[in-house]
Amino acid sequence: MSANASVADPPAPDRTPAGEGRKGARGAAATAFSSKRFQGSITFLAFIAIFIGYGLWLGEKFANIDARALDIHQNTPVLLLGLAVLVTLIAGQFDLSVASMATLTTYLVIGLKVNQGWPFALVLGVCILIGLIGGLVNGLLVVRCHVNTFIATLGTGGIFAGLASVYGKGGQLAPTGDSHQLPSWFSGTTSLGGFGEKFPAVVLWIGLCAVAVFLFLALRRLRPPGRSEAVWTAVSAAIVAVLAVLALTVLKIQHYVDAVSWTIGILIVVAVLLWTLLDHTTYGRYLRAVGSNAEAARLAGVKPGKETIKAFVLGGLLASFAGILLGANQGSASPEVAAGFLLPAFAAAFLSTVVLSTGRFNVWGTLIGGIFLVWVGQGLVVGGVPFTWTGVVNGFVLVLAVAISTVLRRRGAGR
Amino acid sequence: MTTISISGLRKSFGPNEVLRGLDLEIPPGEFVGLMGPNGAGKSTLLKILGGIYRADAGELRYGEERVASLAERPEVGFIHQDLGLIDDLDIVANLRLGEPPMRILGPLLDARRERKEAREAIERVGLNIAVETQVGELAPGEKALVAVARLLQRGASVLFIDEATSTLPPQDARRLISSLTATAGKGATVVMVSHKLSEILDATQRVVVILDGKIAADARSADLDRDELARMVVARETRGERPRRTRGPGQEEVLRMRAACAGRAGPVDLAVHRAEVVGLTGLAGSGLHDVAYMAAGAVSCRSGEVTVATGVRRAMVPPNRESQGGFADLSTAANMTLSALSDWRRPGRLLNGRAERRDVVEMVERLDVRPPDPEAEFGTLSGGNKQKVIFGRVLFRRPGLYILCEPTRGVDVATRADLYHLIDELREDGAGILVVTSDFEDLFAVCDRISVVESGRPGEFLSVDETTAEQLEAFI
Repeated sequence: MSANASVADPPAPDRTPAGEGRKGARGAAATAFSSKRFQGSITFLAFIAIFIGYGLWLGEKFANIDARALDIHQNTPVLLLGLAVLVTLIAGQFDLSVASMATLTTYLVIGLKVNQGWPFALVLGVCILIGLIGGLVNGLLVVRCHVNTFIATLGTGGIFAGLASVYGKGGQLAPTGDSHQLPSWFSGTTSLGGFGEKFPAVVLWIGLCAVAVFLFLALRRLRPPGRSEAVWTAVSAAIVAVLAVLALTVLKIQHYVDAVSWTIGILIVVAVLLWTLLDHTTYGRYLRAVGSNAEAARLAGVKPGKETIKAFVLGGLLASFAGILLGANQGSASPEVAAGFLLPAFAAAFLSTVVLSTGRFNVWGTLIGGIFLVWVGQGLVVGGVPFTWTGVVNGFVLVLAVAISTVLRRRGAGR
Repeated sequence: MTTISISGLRKSFGPNEVLRGLDLEIPPGEFVGLMGPNGAGKSTLLKILGGIYRADAGELRYGEERVASLAERPEVGFIHQDLGLIDDLDIVANLRLGEPPMRILGPLLDARRERKEAREAIERVGLNIAVETQVGELAPGEKALVAVARLLQRGASVLFIDEATSTLPPQDARRLISSLTATAGKGATVVMVSHKLSEILDATQRVVVILDGKIAADARSADLDRDELARMVVARETRGERPRRTRGPGQEEVLRMRAACAGRAGPVDLAVHRAEVVGLTGLAGSGLHDVAYMAAGAVSCRSGEVTVATGVRRAMVPPNRESQGGFADLSTAANMTLSALSDWRRPGRLLNGRAERRDVVEMVERLDVRPPDPEAEFGTLSGGNKQKVIFGRVLFRRPGLYILCEPTRGVDVATRADLYHLIDELREDGAGILVVTSDFEDLFAVCDRISVVESGRPGEFLSVDETTAEQLEAFI
């Protein structure tokens, strides 16, 4: 045995070393940035590799923009639930009741219209209100009564699912010939819930232009010392222009834009709003601080209880939203309709910590992770594996992706 | 008895070279003090010896044998800052952890023999308490002694102690050190990392100073005086002479506590005036920190009252950096700006990330945080730099009343000087400052008035100029 054993297993980034001070802030930042990006992209690239594999294996059956967009469309409620659990996970809490909340609101959004015949605006208002109240109850139980978060949300989840069952008399709810009908814009083939109805492309193009501008500004700020500003601005503009042309010609981004249904469009809008809230407001910062170290947050002047309750309320709101969209997609409500969404929702949220490499729970990672998960399973279904294997595949992919990324990160950044 | 020889030891973390070819020989039976600024490589060296890290290059010999680390040898023991004891178990169970069970019959444990041996083990380090006591109920010094007892019980004859005294009040630290000295006297090798000059000078036979990952000095302790050692350890210029204080404390009260009670503290009566630094000290368990929490408004009073002058904001540096101070997985920037986030809020309630970053970069420069990277995760910083980041957070709040708990705990000599300098500046700017510390050096360096907290209440306030450390100790 020798001390210079070559099995380099570089441990903790005990970033204390004296040499560090000599590097500029920018140099250090850039290093951290690139190494982190690299480790994160491993998971991302692994998924892409799987999809390329699927494409080669299944050809047009898998590599088909419309079909894959339809997957996202159908799984929008799952992705919304992923965002719902994301919010509470950032606060360091587990909300296991979101899927049941979605089931309950699906029953309510269908039933209150079909059976009770309430005006639809009122129905939507009630559903959202129920989501807020459910989240508030969770938050109060966890924060004020100090009930363990698993127990509290398992319990309330049971209650929500049970209420749905009581309200639906244990069976399915759907409009029939002589009942009240759901509004035609809400459910049906040419409606909010239909895949055929596309989100206004103008809005998406404006969004894409905004992304391009943002990219340009970000690039311009990364000007290496020694380059003149005008030259670098031109370089940045050129890079963005080339990327835009590539996106239009090679990726044919216009096809993707055309594939975005109303449901997917709404998902994107919700994600943008949530991302703004979590990453660009004081609330998001407070929430991350509470999730990281509640006692330190308290001593620093943040109110951990208040912020946590808000997180549960927001989670409940998103869950009720998922339930409403589920109702729109399906036009009916059946028992435990969302129960199977809990695992993929948590899977998406946990994948967010590895897909985009940040090591933190984040909105875009949740969406991408959730979508990748759907596609991995769907590819197998298209390839002939019975859909009953979906659960196995989901569990497997989640555990594998998180395990591999965690191991790689420990190796790389070393812990 | 075996000599430990280290030669050409190198270790990098990513682009950062922490150890740059370190050579050191430790003969058996020596009591060695290891010093150096935060981030010099002391802890990394100990972690390589302990088998937690692997060296990139270099050679480690234990006697004649070439080894990768000294871990897994019963005769070599390590005590880290957190001691590695389990608070919820009693002393016996803690001593038995990781040891082969003492059995009487099959799976049944011989509780009587375990207790007896535990009693002998703690008596060896000069502890005389019931071995059934939960470790969580012990004073910090007693815990440290239990950790030493655990190693000795295993037959350790080489002890590595990493800053175990930095969290101890002076009396407990002395108790630990005298126990270590006695152990060394019986032929054991002791290597102790510490930032406290006097500790090292009094207890050790040899001082090794590490700077920038190499041995910078290696001398017999008896040949050194305090100033010489301080110069060797500081290595870089501190911020020059501290300015003379231009004014005495103001008349206006910023904090007034009247018979305030909370936790173990109370009733507390005290006042802090503008441009005044008031120091409190006391033993752990005296309710010292509870006084600070009350003053900061972090706990509400059971009875009595705490009043803060109108319009005065307060901010606290909590006593425990890791568990109460920082957010390990968040960036330096996010850690610094948390308490004053609304300062960077634009109309529309969105955060102005660029302005925030600019101000953080400025603060990082002002406090000389290393690495000077606003995105560096707090958890990866060294102890002294963590403390600076927490000071940064407190400064951003621009308070009129500072409550500083253990401001220099585990901080190197140069950083300590910087922090004292900073406290002086804040006082000059007219802030009221309450320093709550178990480190006497803090009291004499920055305070105007000091008092000893005993059974939850501060005694008489003394002027620093008319008090000596000996007098103060007599109170404790």
